[in-house]
Amino acid sequence: MAKVDLTIEICGMSGDGTIAAGGILNEAMSRAGLSVLAFDSYPAEIRGFGRCVTHSRFGDQEMQALSEKTHVLISLDDKESQSRTPFLAKNAVVLFDNKPPSYVEEGTSIAAHVEPDVRLFGMPFTDLAAAASGSTRGRNLAALGGFAVIFGVPPAHFREVIAKKFKAKGEKVLDANLKSFDAGYRYASEAFKERERPVLLLPEPGKDEERILISGNEAVARAALDAGLKLYFGYPITPATPIMEYLAKALPAKGGRMVQMEDEIASIGAVLGSFFAGKRAMTATSGPGFALMTELITHGVMSETPAVIINAQRGGPATGMPSKTEQSDLQAAVFGGPGDSARIVIAPTNVRECYEFTLMSFQLAERYQTPVIVLTDFFLNNRVEKVKIVGASEAQREDWNLYPDESSRGQYERYRVTESGISPRAIPGTEGFLFDATGLEHTEKGRPDYSSEIHSKMTEKRHRKIRGALNDLPEPVEFSSGEAMDVGVIAWGSTFGSALEAVLRTQQEGMKVGALKMMSLFPYHAEAIRAFMKKCKEILIPELNYEGQLANLVGHLHGKDVVRLNRTTGMPMSPTLIYERIKTLI
Amino acid sequence: MSEEHFIVIGNGPAGHHAAVTLRLEAPGARITLISKEPHGGYRPHLLPKWISGNIKEEALYVCPVEEYKNMAIKLRSGQKVVALNPGQKELVLDHKEVLRFSGLIISVGGTPRIPEPLLIFKDILFTLKTLEDARVWREEIPRVDSVLMMGGDLTSLAVTKALLGLGKKVYFMVNEEAFWPLRWSLSLFEEMSHRLQQKGVEVLADQRVKGITRKGDCDYEIQIGRQTVRVGMIGAFFGLTPDVRFLAASGLRLDRGILVDEYLYTGFKGVYATGDCAQIYHPALRDYWVSVGHDNAVELGRTAALNLVGNTVKAGAAGKCIFEVQGIKVNTSWWTEF
Amino acid sequence: MGNQIRYSVEPEDFYYMDVNVPCQAACPAATNIPAYIRALFEGRYDGSYSINHMANILPGVLGRVCSRPCEDKCRHGEPELGRPVNICHIKRAAADLRRKAPPPEPGPLASLGKKVAVAGAGPAGLAAAHDLCTLGVAVTLYEAFEKGGGMLRYGIPEFRLPREVLEEEIDYIAATGAILKTGVRVGIDVPIEDLLREHDAVLLAAGCYRSLRLDLPGEDLPGVYPGLEFMMQVCAGKPPSIGNRVLVVGAGFTAFDCARSALRLGAEDVTICLRRTEEDLAVTKDEAIETKTEGVKIASLMLSRKILGKERVEGVEFVRTRPGEKRGEGKREVVAIEESEFVLPADCVIVATGQRPEPIRLTVGKKGEEVLKADPDSFSSSMKGLYVAGDYLTGPSTVIQAVGMGRRAAEKIIRDLTGKPFREKTVRMEETEITDRKRAWDYVARQEMPTVQPVPERFRIPRTEVETGLSPEQAQEESKRCYLCYLHYEIDIGRCIYCRYCIDVAPRDCIKLVKEVKTNEAGAITGFTETTHWAEVNAIVIDNSRCIRCGECMRVCPVNCITVTKVELTERTAQEGKDHV
Repeated sequence: MAKVDLTIEICGMSGDGTIAAGGILNEAMSRAGLSVLAFDSYPAEIRGFGRCVTHSRFGDQEMQALSEKTHVLISLDDKESQSRTPFLAKNAVVLFDNKPPSYVEEGTSIAAHVEPDVRLFGMPFTDLAAAASGSTRGRNLAALGGFAVIFGVPPAHFREVIAKKFKAKGEKVLDANLKSFDAGYRYASEAFKERERPVLLLPEPGKDEERILISGNEAVARAALDAGLKLYFGYPITPATPIMEYLAKALPAKGGRMVQMEDEIASIGAVLGSFFAGKRAMTATSGPGFALMTELITHGVMSETPAVIINAQRGGPATGMPSKTEQSDLQAAVFGGPGDSARIVIAPTNVRECYEFTLMSFQLAERYQTPVIVLTDFFLNNRVEKVKIVGASEAQREDWNLYPDESSRGQYERYRVTESGISPRAIPGTEGFLFDATGLEHTEKGRPDYSSEIHSKMTEKRHRKIRGALNDLPEPVEFSSGEAMDVGVIAWGSTFGSALEAVLRTQQEGMKVGALKMMSLFPYHAEAIRAFMKKCKEILIPELNYEGQLANLVGHLHGKDVVRLNRTTGMPMSPTLIYERIKTLI
Repeated sequence: MSEEHFIVIGNGPAGHHAAVTLRLEAPGARITLISKEPHGGYRPHLLPKWISGNIKEEALYVCPVEEYKNMAIKLRSGQKVVALNPGQKELVLDHKEVLRFSGLIISVGGTPRIPEPLLIFKDILFTLKTLEDARVWREEIPRVDSVLMMGGDLTSLAVTKALLGLGKKVYFMVNEEAFWPLRWSLSLFEEMSHRLQQKGVEVLADQRVKGITRKGDCDYEIQIGRQTVRVGMIGAFFGLTPDVRFLAASGLRLDRGILVDEYLYTGFKGVYATGDCAQIYHPALRDYWVSVGHDNAVELGRTAALNLVGNTVKAGAAGKCIFEVQGIKVNTSWWTEF
Repeated sequence: MGNQIRYSVEPEDFYYMDVNVPCQAACPAATNIPAYIRALFEGRYDGSYSINHMANILPGVLGRVCSRPCEDKCRHGEPELGRPVNICHIKRAAADLRRKAPPPEPGPLASLGKKVAVAGAGPAGLAAAHDLCTLGVAVTLYEAFEKGGGMLRYGIPEFRLPREVLEEEIDYIAATGAILKTGVRVGIDVPIEDLLREHDAVLLAAGCYRSLRLDLPGEDLPGVYPGLEFMMQVCAGKPPSIGNRVLVVGAGFTAFDCARSALRLGAEDVTICLRRTEEDLAVTKDEAIETKTEGVKIASLMLSRKILGKERVEGVEFVRTRPGEKRGEGKREVVAIEESEFVLPADCVIVATGQRPEPIRLTVGKKGEEVLKADPDSFSSSMKGLYVAGDYLTGPSTVIQAVGMGRRAAEKIIRDLTGKPFREKTVRMEETEITDRKRAWDYVARQEMPTVQPVPERFRIPRTEVETGLSPEQAQEESKRCYLCYLHYEIDIGRCIYCRYCIDVAPRDCIKLVKEVKTNEAGAITGFTETTHWAEVNAIVIDNSRCIRCGECMRVCPVNCITVTKVELTERTAQEGKDHV
């Protein structure tokens, strides 16, 4: 049982410094030794005018999903924060500005919208910041000062983070910000002296095992760099843009380059071109951009050229909901594009896996000479977790290209049919290893050929090759006692975290429930999945898409219909929802 | 839904029952109950019993917090009223939110009174009014063996009982002003001293505090008249002074409390005051008085609510327990508890 | 530097001062309060004292006993801003901490060749005498008592006003050239007609020394004292015997002084009996608290009906009262409750319910007397050359009101004698720098006056001054709290780019989006019509009546369109015509 499981939201209007405060809070609590899972939401429009909410879950153990109940709400704008009050847990703490510049009508203050068990802590953030630093901009930090007092978090953690964050902006800004935080801390120490305060058990201060706070996007970008990436080709699109921005800054130092292409078609073209020429490259996009890439992806399949594509799913279809999460591109990733174009699709379920799978995807692409699609989602890309990133080992960076043997010089057949289906690949310009590569169906030598014989042979070869990737792809992981179960939950992507939390809860309550984490979406480990399904009376597949795209893909492996749990709210799936559904199946 | 918005300030026994009565009498009205303490309503007269450990904390609360929602009463807890304009029918909370009402019942009760000459000692004196105060007593009592009770109001008797039950030595100094609204008299004092002494309490004859010296942690020496007393803790029980300072600019008639007629009416349309903060002229006493005791507060709360919705019920109906002072009957429900 | 300085006598500028420097507007002597607080902040105690002295010739005295109408209006005391600045005690600190000034040169200005007699050396008479002397008039000050000071010496006890402080300031006034003749009763020892013959003008500032009676049965019993006479005897060092139980009837300063003096004479049980409630006291809240701290009880809502006793007073019969309706802006009516009689025992009863002026006989031997009536605006009576000022004119008021009146009466006399005004009020405007006040100072807690503790120490030597004065550090801290309302912040709408950064940093609703500016007949700004529709906004305006002069707007304005002007209501020699320099 977790000793610490605290969810904190900061809510404000754009311009209030909500997101910045959330970032500082995450770092500070991380320094205090807690695990972090945080996810912000803010207006979609560029330079938007709207509500910002940071949502952070802190605990003494790793967290799988966001919680549905908020224990602490810091309101930087009472009008916006009213939308968050329905999510307050019992006895929640609400920290708000109790000295607005003028009198407000009934209902304007957040105090009018909370249940009587909620503990209100009012502080004059604006006045404190103004008094301390001469400007009201630091009011978000004054609020954090109050938070630190209420929960007994050592202020040094906050001060260090503030110092680090604002050092680059100059002495004056840094000083004003520290003063605002201190003013809030001092005020709260005095004002809340007599009040009963919640107890937060912070872990013993010890050497932190080199875990850092990192978002999914950043994890992807770092993995690519650690894999030796030198070239990134892409086009900005929410939520993948931060990957591009990160690499734009980081690649030149490594002797590489980020090139913004005119569109996604050009981007995937450039990636294929780069890999074709023997150099690792990557692109990252989202649903609409991915759709543009599909023809060239199948070109990669047909010409057996490696590529690494990150598809950061968002609400669809078409432009859809750019700043909302969804898992509705599975079908597009696995099947999208003309023809029988089997390719590798893997889906990380948390930030650490974002790193690992991106790292892995370059080797998989090279060995299996195919586009590899890493399917993430908005929630995963933008959420922050505290993970250990130790960099890539030699083995993980190794070149997995299979080059032709010297013996085939002069008689090199690029697409020779082999047992594994993998044909050794020469890098263009290698003397004695001339070849044709084409998107048309072709002979083993690579010459275009439309005969029924060749097409059947080649299609079979390509599929056999991809099936072979099962050896290198992460197998599904089971979370159960191993015995027979009433309900088995299969989930993928970020939904898996919610599913696991729900399943663990049912297990604690004595129910016979298990979970299966699917990470390789294509090819998938049919045997393992079937074996799991056999042990379960019912199979439940929760996902953030309308019909149940994973259910459509693997549901047939179960003896009967699987139970689908579908949501398209744009929000991550709630563990409670899955938990309730499981209970109905028992 | 009716346009009526009734506000009750204060969630003590008077305020709680006023709100409940309003809900029964005006089913369609919007009712807001404002309490400056951050929890649901509780019974302050039971605090001494909680201090002595005779009852559990849960028994203090009048009802679970969800009950308020069931009764469609919006309880604003931990929020304080800082200004009132009864003519404009609006009040202001301490975070600058303005609430408008069609009817108002003020039942803010009182805060423990420390007579001006003793104000310089206020940091070392312990008073008892709220749940938070009681928590402090529970933490402090195990650290001391003896307590000086100064004042002699009705709460002090219940606390003395609690202290005796916990095996502490109790000194008692009676101050005639602690009895307001009851008038002090020699016979009253003698009867009280007699009863206290019977229980093993040492009653001090004089009431002039000359000085208090802190000798150490939980160690005080007090000079009263010619006597010197050494104790671990000093309690101040000089009655309650109605908590009406925030109304100074409101235009309400104020003396020690809010002056109201026998219907608890303040003179401003739709505005009533009740409970410990309401000051009413008592013809039998020929003096103003303020209610004492839990049962009276409950009764007065109900009365104010009934009158606010249009009835004409007189306040100060005979309470359950009568106390005689100089041949005058006074209502109080606490006296016989001791 | 060369900051431009302008003087104005335009009505809209006087209106502005009324609204924007409310402390000075509330002061009957129009003391330049922000200026002397600022001077003290800068450590210039002498300067601070002098600024006070220009308007009020008794700063040390008033710094102790003033009724502080300024503090009630102090902007820092507005509901959401906290508590008013402790103006009175800062004034006292300047008086306490300054170096003793050398005595002034007698009558610094050339003689006007006029002679004026002033009857009464109380605050009004002293103020008039001082001003007349400095303006070149030969003044003779007649005083009925043994020493000068009037109520200050004979009505206010020493534990509130030490005699050394009073004497030093009276001596200073005498040193300007006024000839003080004590022990002379005008109208009895010296006929008024004689004075009128010998002088160019006569000013009667004789105060109110007749106690008002309650006219109750038993009021003449031994042991019943009128409040003023009781105080006079105490101040003269010859207190009457009072026994142990004292009842004081009254709600003003005299009643409170009597009660506290009674304690010092050894009474153990002293109660002040009010007809209304403590909300309606004429004394300051601090005074009421101090009185209760000393052990005086205050009983409210009781009306005295009979004083009981055979050889001597034994008690008082009261009835309970109920507060009635308010009489306009005044106090509530007092309504007696039927059948509520009760008796409080007493060894001594002090009736301190007010005073009225002693009528002055106009001709020796003439039958009948009348109290002279005069016009409160011109101080003139029906007799030519005979003027009236102070409590004698208005009935009991406060020391500062008397001082203000004395000065205005002197100005009026000069004007009548010479045909020309001597001094005039003006608004002085000077461009200045942004305030160096820090926003943090607005949160400094009010420094409270330290008092002699524990209370029994006060009674050991009954004359001991109870309030001991703010220390230099406390005074400085307190002076930080003054917003310096004499600074005027204004946005130049010609240069404003409507970026609204100023509104973002405004601490309250002091900077407004304005559609229309409302003005009164004189042209002064009286209000704004605000709007939230951007298309209707005609200007962004700083509402100086809400502004707390924090300076944040100016610091953040990207185009430097906000100017600061120091605006002070002050005096100067009267200018020819209505031009301003």
